[in-house]
Amino acid sequence: MAVVGSVKTALQVAEVLEAIVSRCVGPEGRQVLCTKPTGEVLLSRDGGRLLEALHLDHPIARIIVACVSSHLKKTGDGAKTFVIFLCHLLRGLRAITEKEKDSLISENIQTFERCWKNCCQWKFICQALLTFQTQILDGIMDQYLSRHFLSIFSSSAKERTLCRSSLELLLEAYFCGRVGRNNHKFISQLMCNFFFKSTISDSRLEVFELVDDCFVELNVSVTGLPVSDSRIIDGLVLHRDFSVYCPADGDMRVAIVRETIQPLFSTSGSEFVLNSEAQFQTSQIWIMERTKSIMKHLRSQNVRLLLSSVKQPDLVIYYARLNGISVVDCLSSEEISLIQRIISLSPFVLPQASLQCEISNPALVKFCKPLILRSKRYVHLGLMSTCTFAPHCIILCGPVQGLIEQHENALHGAFKMLRQLFKDFDLNYVKKSNDQNDTLSPHVKNNDELEKNQYLQAHSNLVVSDAELETYIPCSTPKLLPTDTVQTDETWRCLPPENKKINDDYELLIESNSSSNPITENTRIETYCENLQVTNIAGKESTLPMKYKSLDTHISQSYCSSSVPAGCVLPVGGSFEILLHYYLLNYAKKCQQLQEIMVSKLIASALLGIPKILYKPKKGNHNFPQIYLRALHALQTNQPIISCQAGLESVIGKYHLLTSVLQCLTKILTVDLIINIKRQPQKSCDQDSEDELQH
Amino acid sequence: MALNGAEVDDFSWEPPTEAETKVLQARRERQDRISRLMGDYLLRGYRMLGETCAECGTILLQDKQRKIYCVACQELDSDVDKDNPALNAQAALSQAREHQLASATEPPSGSRLTAQPPVPRPEHCEGAAAGLKAAQGPPPPTVPPDADAVACTQTALLQKLTWASAELGSSASLETSIQLCGLIRACAEALHSLKQLQH
Repeated sequence: MAVVGSVKTALQVAEVLEAIVSRCVGPEGRQVLCTKPTGEVLLSRDGGRLLEALHLDHPIARIIVACVSSHLKKTGDGAKTFVIFLCHLLRGLRAITEKEKDSLISENIQTFERCWKNCCQWKFICQALLTFQTQILDGIMDQYLSRHFLSIFSSSAKERTLCRSSLELLLEAYFCGRVGRNNHKFISQLMCNFFFKSTISDSRLEVFELVDDCFVELNVSVTGLPVSDSRIIDGLVLHRDFSVYCPADGDMRVAIVRETIQPLFSTSGSEFVLNSEAQFQTSQIWIMERTKSIMKHLRSQNVRLLLSSVKQPDLVIYYARLNGISVVDCLSSEEISLIQRIISLSPFVLPQASLQCEISNPALVKFCKPLILRSKRYVHLGLMSTCTFAPHCIILCGPVQGLIEQHENALHGAFKMLRQLFKDFDLNYVKKSNDQNDTLSPHVKNNDELEKNQYLQAHSNLVVSDAELETYIPCSTPKLLPTDTVQTDETWRCLPPENKKINDDYELLIESNSSSNPITENTRIETYCENLQVTNIAGKESTLPMKYKSLDTHISQSYCSSSVPAGCVLPVGGSFEILLHYYLLNYAKKCQQLQEIMVSKLIASALLGIPKILYKPKKGNHNFPQIYLRALHALQTNQPIISCQAGLESVIGKYHLLTSVLQCLTKILTVDLIINIKRQPQKSCDQDSEDELQH
Repeated sequence: MALNGAEVDDFSWEPPTEAETKVLQARRERQDRISRLMGDYLLRGYRMLGETCAECGTILLQDKQRKIYCVACQELDSDVDKDNPALNAQAALSQAREHQLASATEPPSGSRLTAQPPVPRPEHCEGAAAGLKAAQGPPPPTVPPDADAVACTQTALLQKLTWASAELGSSASLETSIQLCGLIRACAEALHSLKQLQH
């Protein structure tokens, strides 16, 4: 049966998903109980898990959930906001397109022409959305929003130190929406501890990448204990027990093997011909002697720990015990690769002939001992790391497995989010400016200056001039502020009144900003001047034909690129959405192209849906209209915006969310027809190509 | 085309009238209710199918027993139902009052009071019975109780009572039994008030 794909169906589906997800969004959200089709019960606030647990056969619902999953894999944040934003965009689209039709006529009557007209209309709208996203959105981010960004670093010259309090604010805001209310502070503290213990130097990005990739191996879950028993331990915990344990003191070496040490009778692909019993016995004796000598050789090299990815036979275990070597076998390949990554050790290759060779680079191990958690035994290894990650493991405790899984997923998502946050992000956009000159060179010069100014403006979040500092932070000097003035004068810095320590940190932040002014400003201008030249050259070549056009129309286009530096954050509670909404509406007023106006207005009104839901439970002075009006007033009068919520969120995460939703929307809108089939089409093409290769 | 023609449309677009606004508001609320119900069912393990209902266009759900379920048709009353006197006590009351007003000016005819819709659904019978009871409660000041009308009502009630007791004997579901008992109680109370009216 074929169904016409339309905004109406997509909106229905999105509304249902929104109804589910809006119950658990934000810090005021509650846990949602979901019964899976298998009968299991899932109690969660994690949007991604909830959506994947639903039994959805509708194709558009599956597209939406697939988009959410792939977004989460990359960024670790924003599943619920994704669905809410998508739903609002679909509503906005429907409102736009329904203005034409008579809304009271039944929509089931569809002629072929109308159907075709609808499809073309949607494709046109998709084109407009994508053009907007690729060409204009980055520009708005760069030119307007960047002046509001805060930085999670407290910068001092070249070093960018991360203060713990700002990381805590960021993580608390993250876990607030994901983990139960009684646990989120504890979990964010746990994560902060883990991060500060495992990072050796300033190479945070490598640490985040490693932890994100190997998160499963870096945590151990223990059921039956309260959550507060969770802790960080030094070293690596392997999810296997010792086959042989020989206690040893002092530094020892470790060897990794990927095959059995005991030689086999024959290798695969060769034959072993037995002629007599004696020959068999000789072979066996030879095997025994060989194993014995290999183990002795290892012992002579001071290898006291053998890590094996396969099961070692009993003979090897016996000789290992004789020689005092501990053996851990059947380790997963991920664990082996993690160990290799940390201590940069290559696997031990069994020497074919003589045993005179030295084991290349056997790594040192500080300690290895068994670890008993509840009733399970693990191996606790103390490794000497050669990379920037000081190995630590998280032991997650919880009364039931479900709660532990919830915390595990939340932590993993947090590492993904931080990984994105600590990367610089490139913005590319098309800048249009009206120009009155006719000749080419003044064009370029004018653009030069314009762009230079913009670069200075764009990167002033860390490099804030004194004058601007004053407007941002009117009360930068006194530390102990009475509660009521903090409430009113609370700027983007969000100082909680009772914590003097955090005040100190922020003051340090401000002071270090102003002191480092001349140095960083110069370096930044230098680097970006270089970039400027490069882009200008590129811009010149690519825009030459357009400049000819522009002689007539006086509009020049140039391709600009900029970047959002790592560590940009904004206060929680919808500040990103309200700011972007305001600037999009401003842009729509100044813009002249009809498509861009429509798209900006659509996105701007949909963006407000998110803070509306977040502020729904609040009343009185903190409800959404009040917050919105205050923010608008502050933006219009160029005052700093007061935020009453302490907590930070990553700008890059929000930006990625926005682009992912627009991509998902275009995917949905370009569906013309949905055809139900009973079976998946058979994949026979792969086999055919293999056959062709062989012949 | 929406994006090209929006400028032209802006000049000819008028704000919706109050009636239209009410209809739009009601429709939106209904849609919200449907979404919430569907969300609840999905969380309970129902499956969202790729098909829509032929009558109302809502997406269909399927439960674990592979039974297909449309939230709007089977659970949510439609907009029109609130005016149906068989299903709503308020509507029955207002209809009865209208009849009384009409019969105050004209000579009373007993058949009016018994002109209720023939066979309402069992679970909604209470609505009709309650409406009937309320209609009979405040005695009309100027119209004396017509003996014929009362007798007809009594027979109707007795018929309903016998039917309900027969159904109760043969029903296997708990819900239906409870509702039938409620119906029997309502009929008995109505008969009781009718007897009071006669004396």
